[in-house]
This record gives sequence, C-alpha cells and structure tokens, in this order.
Amino acid sequence: MNNFALGKYMPLDSIIHRMDPRAKIGAMLLLMVAIFIPAGYIGYAVIAVLIITAVFLSKLRLNFIWRSVKPMMFMLLFLWIINVLVLRTGYVMFTVFGFKVYSDAIFQTLFIIIRLLLMIIVTTILTATTKPLELTLGIEDLLTPFKVIHVPAHEIAMMISIALRFIPTLIEETNRIIKAQTSRGVDLDEGTLKEKLMAILALIVPLFVSAFQRAEELANAMEARGYIPNRPRTRYKQLEMTFKDYVLLLLSTLILILNICIWKGFI
Amino acid sequence: MPITFKELSHEYNLGTPFAYLALDHVSLAIPEGKVTAIIGETGSGKTTLVQHLNALLLPTGGELEVAGRTISSNEKPKHLKALRKDVGLVFQFPEYQLFEETIIKDVCFGPKNFGVDEETAVQLAEKYLRIVGIDESDFHKSPFDLSGGQKRRVAIAGILAMDPQVLVLDEPTAGLDPQGAKEMMQLFSRLNKEYGKTVLIVTHDMEHVLHYCDEVIVVADGHIREQCEVHEFFRSVELLKELKINPPAVIRLREELREKGFQIPDDMIDVEQLIDAVASEVKGHE
Amino acid sequence: MAKIQVCDISFSYDKETNAVEHVSFQIEAGSYTTIIGHNGSGKSTIAKLLIDLLEKDSGSIIVDGMELNDENIYTIRDKIGIVFQNPDNQFIGATVADDIAFGLENHQVASEAMEQIIQTYAKRVNMSRYLLSEPTHLSGGQKQRVAIAGVLAMAPQIMIFDEATSMLDPQGKAEINEMIQSIHRETGMTIISITHDIEEVSHSDHVIVMDQGHIVMDGKPEDILLREKELVALKLDIPFALKFTKGLQRKGISCRLCTTMEGAVEEVCRLHSKN
Repeated sequence: MNNFALGKYMPLDSIIHRMDPRAKIGAMLLLMVAIFIPAGYIGYAVIAVLIITAVFLSKLRLNFIWRSVKPMMFMLLFLWIINVLVLRTGYVMFTVFGFKVYSDAIFQTLFIIIRLLLMIIVTTILTATTKPLELTLGIEDLLTPFKVIHVPAHEIAMMISIALRFIPTLIEETNRIIKAQTSRGVDLDEGTLKEKLMAILALIVPLFVSAFQRAEELANAMEARGYIPNRPRTRYKQLEMTFKDYVLLLLSTLILILNICIWKGFI
Repeated sequence: MPITFKELSHEYNLGTPFAYLALDHVSLAIPEGKVTAIIGETGSGKTTLVQHLNALLLPTGGELEVAGRTISSNEKPKHLKALRKDVGLVFQFPEYQLFEETIIKDVCFGPKNFGVDEETAVQLAEKYLRIVGIDESDFHKSPFDLSGGQKRRVAIAGILAMDPQVLVLDEPTAGLDPQGAKEMMQLFSRLNKEYGKTVLIVTHDMEHVLHYCDEVIVVADGHIREQCEVHEFFRSVELLKELKINPPAVIRLREELREKGFQIPDDMIDVEQLIDAVASEVKGHE
Repeated sequence: MAKIQVCDISFSYDKETNAVEHVSFQIEAGSYTTIIGHNGSGKSTIAKLLIDLLEKDSGSIIVDGMELNDENIYTIRDKIGIVFQNPDNQFIGATVADDIAFGLENHQVASEAMEQIIQTYAKRVNMSRYLLSEPTHLSGGQKQRVAIAGVLAMAPQIMIFDEATSMLDPQGKAEINEMIQSIHRETGMTIISITHDIEEVSHSDHVIVMDQGHIVMDGKPEDILLREKELVALKLDIPFALKFTKGLQRKGISCRLCTTMEGAVEEVCRLHSKN
C-alpha cells in the first residue's frame, strides 16, 4: 500500500496545495481535453511545460511522480509491442530479425503513450496536492449549477466525504477481523477452494455486519445533530478563488485554444 | 512450561519513516496454570504483546517460547498454524467474528480449520457452549439473533472449542453491563480452576484484577514495568499512583482510612477483613 | 413545570415484545438524572424515543412544554443534544473542526460565525490543539470530547449521555465523567446520563432504574441505592460504601448506611472520634 502513489494526498505546503480545488479541477478538465486534441509535438510540449512547472511548484518529489506512473509502465510497453506487431502502415523504419517495424507503429503509439502519461501526471498533481475533503468541496461547488436538472450536489458531496472519513476506520476493522479469524485457524493462502470460500465468507460477513451497524449509528448521530436530508445547510469551509487560481484557469484555457488552433490548422 | 519472552522487540512499519517501536527488549516469564492480568495504558504495547502469543505478530528481534515452540523473527509460517490451536486468542468485541448460519456451526468453524472431524467438532462445540452458558435449545439458532452478551459467549466458545492450553483475552468485558462482566470473569476463573487452562486477560478493570487474577503484569511504553502477585501489587499505593491506576474500591477505602490514622495493614485486600479491622478499632475505643 | 414529562409510553421493535412498556417519568429542569438497568432493559430505547429517532407506539412525551408530534420533531431535537456510546460512529466530520461544524451547518449558522463558535467549544472540551486532527489520530476519550463539543455548540437545553463512557479506557472515562459534572455545574443544563457506573449514580440528583422495559424504581439516589435487596435482584451493582457500612452494622456497630465513599469515610471517622 505504501508504494501506491496514484490518488494519494501528500501533505506539503506549496502554492499548488494552496490553490482553490475548483480551479485545480477545472484546469485538470481543460488540460484533459487539450491532451486529447491531436495537436502534434508542439501541442504536447506546451502542455508538458505547464505540467512540469506545476510539479516543480508543488514540491512533489520526482520519485513520487515516478511511482504513480510506474504501475502503468508495463501496460504502456505492452501497448507498444502490440502496435508494433499490428500496425503495418507508414514507412519501414528498421528491421529486427527480419521483422519490419513501421513508422506509424512507433509514432502513433508514442502519441498515445505521451497522452496517457500526461493524463496520469495531471491527475496525480491534483490528488497529491488537494485534500480529499477539499476535492469533495470543489466537486460539490462545481456540481451546484446542475441542481437545476436535479443533480443532488450536496448529497453527493456528503456521501463522498463520509466514505472518505470511514475508509481508515474500515481498513482498521478489516485488519482486526483478519487477525481474529486467523486466530481461529483461517488460512487465506492455503487450502482447497471450498476452504478458501469459507475463509472469505468469514471475513466478509463480519465486515458487513459491523458496517451496517456503523451506518445505522452514524445515521442516528447525524439526525440527532439536526441533519435533515434535502434541507438547505450552510457550509463551514468556504472556498475562495484568488488571483493565482484565475491565472491557472486562464493558462489552461489558453493551452486548450492553442491546441485547437494547431489542430484546425489556424496556426 | 511457562511462556517465556527473551529480549523480544516489535517494531511496526520497520524500515519506513513511520517505524514505531511498540515493544522494546521485553523479557518475561508468564507462569502456567494461573490467571494473569496484563494491564497498562492505551498504547502501552499490551495488545502487541499478546498478539505475539499466537504468532499473529512475529518479533522483529528476540524470541518467544510458548506451548513448546520457539518463535523468532525468521520462523516459517508453516509451523504457526498449529500454534494457533494451542494458544486461543479472543479479540476485543469478539462478537464481530461470528458469521455462520447457526451458533453450533460457528463454534465448529475453529476446530474444523485445524483438521478435527465433523463429529468431534460438534462434540467439542456442544461441550464448550454448555460451559459458557448457552442453552441447548439455542444451538441451532442464528448467532445474530442473540443479545450482545450472549454473542460474546458464543464467540469465546468458538475459541475454546479449539481446545487451547492457553487462553488469551483482550478486554473481554468491554461494553458489558456489570453483571455480564462479572459472569464473564467467573467463567474465566472456572476455565482456569476446573479445566486447567492458563488464562491471560488484558484489562483496565482493577476490580477484576483484584477478584479474579493471580498475577499482574504492567506494560508501560513498550517495557514491562512490573510483574508480581495481585495482593503484592495492591499493597504499594505509590506504584499505583505512578501508573495512574484507579485502585479498586476496597483499596481506596483502606488507604483513605489509613491516612485518617486507622491501624489497617497495607496488605489487606478483602472487604470482610477490612470491616473486621475497622469494627474492632471503633469498638476498641468504646 | 418539569422539563420532560413522559406519560405512559410503549414501544416495540418487532411488534411482539415491548422494549419499553407503559413508562412514565418526569425530569426537572436543571437536574442531573441517571438511568440504570442491565443491558437490554430498555434504557437506551428511552433516549432514542425522547428525540424521536424511534417513534413511540403509544403515550405522550412533553419536552419544555411542547408535546412531541410530527410537526415539532425538529424543534424538540434542537432542544436536546445526545452523545452516543461509540466514539467512532458519531464522528461525522473529516477533522475535529469539521465535526463541531456539522451541527452548525444543519442549523444554518452563517459560515463567518462558525469559526468563533468552533473555537469556543473546542476550548471548552480541551481540544483546541487538535482542531485539524483527523479521528484516526485521536483516542476514544478525545473523540467523545469532540462529540460533546459538537452538541454543546448547538446550545441545547438538555443533554443526554447514552453510555458515553462505556467504550473508553479508565482515563477516558474519568475525563468524560468530569466533563459531564462540570457542564452541569457551570451551565445548569438538564442532564440525563444512561450509565452502568454506580458511583456516577450516587453523585446525581435523580435516578431511574429500569428492568425489562419497565421503570422499577424512581427517586433520589440516596434512597434508591439503599434498597440493596431490590438492586441485587435486578442484578445491579451495590455501592461499595453500602456494602461496607452494612458490614459494620452486622458487627454490631451503630453506623449510618452510606452510598458514597466520602460519606463512609466521614461516618467511620465520626464513630472513631466519638468513642
């Protein structure tokens, strides 16, 4: 678990950490779209410059970025090999043991890989510099306009934040149940299929029983403290856009426009 | 043979920035055939200590001898399963480990995991369900229909049915009402006296330590702070104060009266004796 | 007039056996009431009925002069704060500050006003240093203190503690008990504590004893706690001081029966010096 970096928050103090989550989510969406536009190397280079600047400003260590990308590396390599075997258009670049490798296989795949890498890094920056709770607040605010079409923005945000709140508690609980059942001779590594099924049942059933009880008690506690679903509430944590947030959004928009222009041949 | 810890250490998250030494070169001998209380503040390392007894945790340094086996940091997991049959570990709120359709099936689960055949498992289950005080008419009911206290008894029977020599209980009376807690402690006392089990109880309740245990082990900051017999332990009030322990009522009263000038011996731990002592002193003035 | 008047309420979970049956009692404004009884006697059910987390089958509940009905549930809930047993399952916010804010958000307190209120009540429960801490890094006692702050911040008139200390270690228990006492002393709020702790009962103003869904005793602790035979029959604890002073009487010493440790020490000293 400790080696898994994708989606993990890194508690540092940087300008990127202090940015408004809405601006960060907005910038991420704009950049995602920009990444999908086939704007050639120049387009990707511009995005890459912004992203590298952001990594630098966020004080995240390159090792951390590498760890979030690493799990994908095998997949990307696999993609490349498949494409080399399948794509047989363009000119022959070189020959390996009498097998002709075509230019399209190399370059088109390279584009795909660059896109995927950029997307992973953008997402990593967002999740590593934004507390899960702030992300939730950002999502809530961004969803608010959709209340008109009956998207329960607040309830969605409430559900996400409660889920986030209880993840550590449930992990702890799972560990305890694993230990308790191990003490009763459960062996998760060995045994016949039937025994393994029983072992899984011995973990899942208690976990569900206790999760349901927690849910009930939590609902009681929320109601007792005056929570009424679908009633308006105020919010303690207010988000505030500052100059730097607008700059980020502006830059992301400009990059998107630039890429569209390159794609459509205006430049 | 006693359970022996030799310079045992346990460090969590070894080799990471979050490394944390929970037990620091602990040496300890826990006598066989007794009821031993393990006490200490939350976070002192007592739970880490007991989880070594059935090798849920392996030492990161030193070793442990229990039930005729030696466990050290490089022990292979193959031998560990058999140990878990000999040392039964009951977790806090064990009712959360119940999962089967019927009570009897749930209690049979442990022994069957250790290769006991169906028939013998059922016999063992019935035996221990009776001992913990579950009605025969309930054996085929769902464990989820029982009250909290009853569920806990079933869960404990589930460990007992493995027929362990050593029974380790982590705060077995937490959340029970006083009567339920008392009955639970009486059960452990009986398991020790009638069935010869070595019993270890992690507890915060000093009344239980006083009334049902023979020995006390105090864990503090990953070290063994004290190990002695119960009556010896409640003699030294200075130690209790230092350990921030709220003594049992009889000890509190004894100490208050001693401070007020009553001539009461400091090893008195029985309420009847205390009454006699106070009565004779009051009468002596008449 | 009494703060809470409960009149002949009954409730069953399964429509077969009543968890609470024909229960009536009164609680005076500003009093400290303890409710005792073994697990399953119906005491926690009473707490849930008072704030309508469970709906009574029959009878009436009057809180602060208002009879509880479908229209005024929320008004009545605002008057009563409750702290539950499990510290983890009532911690709603991501951090201490967020958790205290939860009730304020429900009450639609303006965002700008919240910070001040949160700080005041965090300080009241000695949790100012932990405002940004997450629940996984807090002890059970600390989490319960946050729950108390969250309830106090909503300025209720009545506070219910539903076995709020039963899952805590001795240090946590002592902290919370001390806090309950001081809240009662300083605010004069009406307190109802559902408990197993006989020592706590002896320090309260009023005790209600429950058994199998019924109220079997209701009165002043100094009277109720002397009814040893009945308490034993109900499988409840007897105060140690009572056991001790009863023992002295058996030895032919004419001492008064006491229910508190301080009382017993005082009584024995009195006899000692008198003679």
